Amino acid sequence: MLHKLLATVKKEILLLLRDKVGLSVLFIMPVALILVMTLIQDSAFKSINEKGIPVVFVDEDQDSLGLQIKQGLLSNDLVYLSDSIDSKPASSQSAKKAVSEGRFLVGIVIPKGATAAIRKNVSVLVNETMNGTPPAAETADSVQITILIDPIAKQSFLNAVTSNLREFISEVKTKIMFQTFSQQVAELIPDKQNAPRNPYQRSQIIHYNEVYASTATGKIVPNAVQHNVPAWTIFAMFFIAIPLSNSILKEKTEGSVFRLHTMPTPYLLLIMGKIVVYVLVCLLQFMLMLAVGKFLLPQLGLPALVLGNSMAGIFVLTTATALAATGFGVTVGTLATTDHQAAIMGSLSILLLSALGGIWVPSYVMPEVMRNISAFSPLNWSLEGFYKLFLRGGTVTDILPDAIKLLVFFFAMMGISYLANRKKRKV
Amino acid sequence: MNMSNPAIIDIYDLKKTFKNATEPAVNGISFSINRNEIFGLLGPNGAGKTTTISILCGLFPPGSGKVLIDGKDLHTELHSIKHIIGIVPQDIALYPTLSARENLAFYGSMYGLHGKQLQDNIERWLHKLGLTEAANRKVSTYSGGMKRRVNLIAGVLHSPKILFLDEPTVGVDVQSRNVIIEHLKELNAGGTTIIYTSHHMEEAENFCTRVCIIDHGKILTQGTPAELISQNAGSTNLEHVFLNLTNRKLRD
Repeated sequence: MLHKLLATVKKEILLLLRDKVGLSVLFIMPVALILVMTLIQDSAFKSINEKGIPVVFVDEDQDSLGLQIKQGLLSNDLVYLSDSIDSKPASSQSAKKAVSEGRFLVGIVIPKGATAAIRKNVSVLVNETMNGTPPAAETADSVQITILIDPIAKQSFLNAVTSNLREFISEVKTKIMFQTFSQQVAELIPDKQNAPRNPYQRSQIIHYNEVYASTATGKIVPNAVQHNVPAWTIFAMFFIAIPLSNSILKEKTEGSVFRLHTMPTPYLLLIMGKIVVYVLVCLLQFMLMLAVGKFLLPQLGLPALVLGNSMAGIFVLTTATALAATGFGVTVGTLATTDHQAAIMGSLSILLLSALGGIWVPSYVMPEVMRNISAFSPLNWSLEGFYKLFLRGGTVTDILPDAIKLLVFFFAMMGISYLANRKKRKV
Repeated sequence: MNMSNPAIIDIYDLKKTFKNATEPAVNGISFSINRNEIFGLLGPNGAGKTTTISILCGLFPPGSGKVLIDGKDLHTELHSIKHIIGIVPQDIALYPTLSARENLAFYGSMYGLHGKQLQDNIERWLHKLGLTEAANRKVSTYSGGMKRRVNLIAGVLHSPKILFLDEPTVGVDVQSRNVIIEHLKELNAGGTTIIYTSHHMEEAENFCTRVCIIDHGKILTQGTPAELISQNAGSTNLEHVFLNLTNRKLRD
């Protein structure tokens, strides 16, 4: 039986080596996919970081609030600030037009008298406090800062940007309020002149320290490479279903299966030969992708892939993913009746499973229904496993549930293929 | 194996109706094939020849009836029967991107051959059928006749006791046909029983020791070509017999 299995493996390797198009699909396409997707995502991230988000700033206030917000934004790398449009000082009207035309992603308009209004409100508050009179809300002036948004900008991105801007503007406003309050108090109580001049800074008793909650020893930094390399490698591994199913169908159409069924060799052994070869191909694909992430991407100015702490975990998860992918290919090849059908069935189902699995869009941003469906995609199990290894510094124990799910999927696919094949032969 | 029984294949009331078919493809046929015979299974298109051969090779089970091959029940001992049969299908069943040697090494291995025995058998047959020089070329570059010859070798490499030939010479030139027939006769002389189907009546008349003509899944007649010709008045050859029995109406 071993001779037969080895002969089948040899035949599969020869068939694969002579199928240049199939080989390019298996190796060149995933490399190209990783390079393109990582470079696009990284450069998009970098262009924002390096040049900043284009923001037009209209300062109709021309006082402390406007000036401090402007200074603050100018010193922020996230923002590329401009206060003129076509060499003319920006106005609220021209800013609105420029943002609507997509020349700026965001526009900020500080209205005339904004600082004066803040000061007036603080004065009223101090006087009321000192004189013991009840608060008179009607005397307070409101300050309305307008944030203009490019309608075609992505909502999730804008939410993050505008939320940061709101937070920053609010901080500046509070600072002015404290300064005004401090001055007012000093004027009303002259013997307190030596009181601290900057109570705002003393008010900042809460500081934020953002740390990635990874169990790895501090060397893993989430970035486009850490996310993209495993995601697109899994995608490529599952794409093996197309050449594999084609190989099964070719044997049917070229008559080899007819002859093989008359031979004293179980069909399962012939399929085993295919599985051995295609699992090896998947492992080679994976190693190639890791090499791309570790050595090629840094040459292109991208961060190098960090493999985490568990080589055993990577091996177990990759093998389980490879088996799941080949099992899927065997099922497609068994269920389809023509190679055209297999190509369509295979590619569409992989695209669907990858979309559901969080390869294209992370599953955590999906609606709840889709997130629940996503939990049934083998690509999602694999991706979650690799994120545990590559981003959370997980070990083989952490990825074991994902690997088991992938193995169960493999056996389920083999079972379906066996039953379908048996049914097809019952003519 | 029962040597006292001259028959190597015994078929009893074999029936097969395919799913969704209105009529049976094989409708209760019974016959025996003796050891060392060259047995021709003849009939027009859709007569039931390929269905019968497919059942005998174990491609799919019969609807009903019993088949004994070399004394073994096809239903219960299919795996051991597969060791002693070889098949040369009508369509070329080879991997086009592999060479003849690579194809034969794979198929020979599937019959359980390996090592020196496998290599010797491959080289011997390649030489016999004039393919040694082209043996390392991809099969896709071969002529129709060369492909037929490799297709034949893949079925005989393991020296089967019984060889099923489904139109082995269809679409080949006279030279290739002669080489194929010559070597099939040589195989038969070495003890291989041959079951052969063809639409080529002259070839069947010269090649077969006994023929069975079937149509609509039923046996119309069987005997040696000479017997059938003499039994059918006015017939001077097997083609006349065939046309008289199956009539001249065109078949699908």
